[in-house]
Amino acid sequence: MTTILAIDTSTDRTTVGLVVDGVSASELHHDDPLAHGEVLPKLVNQILESDPHIDVVAIGMGPGPFTGLRVGIAFGQAFALAKGIPWVGVSSLAAMAHVHDDKEFIVAIDARRRELFCEHYLDGKLYAPSRTLQKEELEGFSIQIYKEPPTSLAIAQLATTSLSVLEPIYVRKPDAYPAPKGVKFRPWTHIDLVSIYALEKSIYLDDPWSLGQFKEEFSGSGRQYLVAEFEGKVVGYAGIMSAGDVTDILTLTVAPEFRRRGIAREFLKRMIDWSRNQKVEAMMLEMRVGNAEAEPLYLANGFRKIAERADYYGPGLTAVVMRKELRK
Amino acid sequence: MSSQPLVLGIETSCDETSVGIVRGRTLLANVISSSVEEHARFGGVVPEIASRAHLEAMPNVIAQALEAAQVSLRDLDAIGVTAGPGLIGALLVGTSAAHGLALALDKPLYGVNHLSSHIAVDALDESKPLTPAIGLLVSGGHSSIIEVQDMARGVRVLGGTIDDAAGEAFDKIARILELDFPGGPAIDRLARDGDPNSINFPRGLADSEYDFSFSGLKTAVSRYLQQTPQAHRADVAASFQEAIVDVLLTKALKACAETGLETLIIAGGVAANSRLRTEALARTQAAKIELRTPPIGLCTDNGAMVAALTSLAVSAGVAPSTVGFSTLSTVPLDQPVWL
Ligand SMILES: [Zn+2]
Repeated sequence: MTTILAIDTSTDRTTVGLVVDGVSASELHHDDPLAHGEVLPKLVNQILESDPHIDVVAIGMGPGPFTGLRVGIAFGQAFALAKGIPWVGVSSLAAMAHVHDDKEFIVAIDARRRELFCEHYLDGKLYAPSRTLQKEELEGFSIQIYKEPPTSLAIAQLATTSLSVLEPIYVRKPDAYPAPKGVKFRPWTHIDLVSIYALEKSIYLDDPWSLGQFKEEFSGSGRQYLVAEFEGKVVGYAGIMSAGDVTDILTLTVAPEFRRRGIAREFLKRMIDWSRNQKVEAMMLEMRVGNAEAEPLYLANGFRKIAERADYYGPGLTAVVMRKELRK
Repeated sequence: MSSQPLVLGIETSCDETSVGIVRGRTLLANVISSSVEEHARFGGVVPEIASRAHLEAMPNVIAQALEAAQVSLRDLDAIGVTAGPGLIGALLVGTSAAHGLALALDKPLYGVNHLSSHIAVDALDESKPLTPAIGLLVSGGHSSIIEVQDMARGVRVLGGTIDDAAGEAFDKIARILELDFPGGPAIDRLARDGDPNSINFPRGLADSEYDFSFSGLKTAVSRYLQQTPQAHRADVAASFQEAIVDVLLTKALKACAETGLETLIIAGGVAANSRLRTEALARTQAAKIELRTPPIGLCTDNGAMVAALTSLAVSAGVAPSTVGFSTLSTVPLDQPVWL
């Protein structure tokens, strides 16, 4: 007789079950997206009251929101270690698909931020591997989409196949990307102006600042400009000025080939520190509507949209005004 | 329960994944796996990276600690784990692993206060009796002066920082001086070449009883650097460090004098600062106060301190935490063990 303790925390649901020789003996679950850490030990404690002898721990390894996912994995691995028994990881999406036999269907786990982790099955086989889709992208589909969390029975059944998964399935990279080694941040000097202007022209094709404007900025007071330098070359710049009770971010620009590496984040962090030291009430900025790359960074750092200004960047180009409060 | 309980402690509140094992007040093992090098590239701890690293390191760190202590999980009398304060995602890896061990072994589990454990690590010096003391807790997240009558049952907070923690001030000034992260050791090193009395930086809240404020000091340093671009950076580092050390020790010794307690325990990551240690020794000797500072390896976050506090709680007959207790990012310092 083989008893499997099956655990899954890849969705809002925390699921725990005992599966004996391929048959579900008991299952407990609780739906709460923020309480896996509290719920899982309680459910396991409850299910162990029958004092079963456990031979294997089966763990849903995701994909799923990170924090909840790690609760199940950390718990399951430690439990197995303490019992001196093996643990087997399985794909939570595969476990969701395991209970369906339609000709064609999609299984999806909510990935937050209006995204879903999906797998597409056709004729009983995985047709398209796991991928992240926007919720809107899935809305037009006529195929059946299943979102019920995996059952403990399916997790346990998959654990006895050869489809084991050893590592947590992280669909997203961590929000922070390492800055490339050798990128140096420093205040700008007169000598940087020409390089900055060259970068500005190559990026803001329709409306770059002129070299004269940068020179004026350079001699202006109450400003802080920083450059990011890689192997002696300016690869980004950012500027902020204090304006009474607030500071105003004037520009934050990173060369395209150096984006998504934490340079903008580092600039922003330094500008926030600088603003805090100025003891201002808030930070403000204007940004083009639909600046998809910059917006999440600002939102993640506590900026909120407070207004839109039509035609700010020229006819039809609307600016979004964002503000971050620094004093509580 | 034995008066010499064998306890395993898990710490994952920030960027160190650590497991320590103690028997009573005897340290048997303390294994630390740090993701600090990854964070150094960002100039601060990135919660998602820390949580990933904890999960990856946990099984190995537990196994290494058991190996070093030459004990097996079955021998344990209790398990302790940091329940807060800290980064929630990071804490949850530790509390989940600890619950996994405790439920599998059917052993009592203690969710403990990270800050109390920093002070409790002092109990691992078996040559000293456990006496009431004033604790000066200085770390990246906290700066507090506390009155310790009974570590396992509760401490009384006399005062603390009203803005930045001491360690945080070190990190921020290090960034201004373009030094490495973490800032404490970098400033400590640079300050050795500087004159601590060359610049008279402000001592924050010098009049208020036991509270500190370091944000004014931070502003003063950055303003000084803006106005004096030619400043000798080592002098700035040394003078800044001197200001912090002066405030911390003045207030801690005042607490000793006013409570009549004759022992001062300095703990937490900043207790590794060489200037703080030297100056503390000189001032406590002058004031006839007994100074206790944990070995440097036990000042920064570690599992041994969690095991130490848990062991004291077990010996004192404190009840274990309930299964499924919550992790908290902020918690009052006066509650050592979770309900
Ligand atoms: Zn700490």
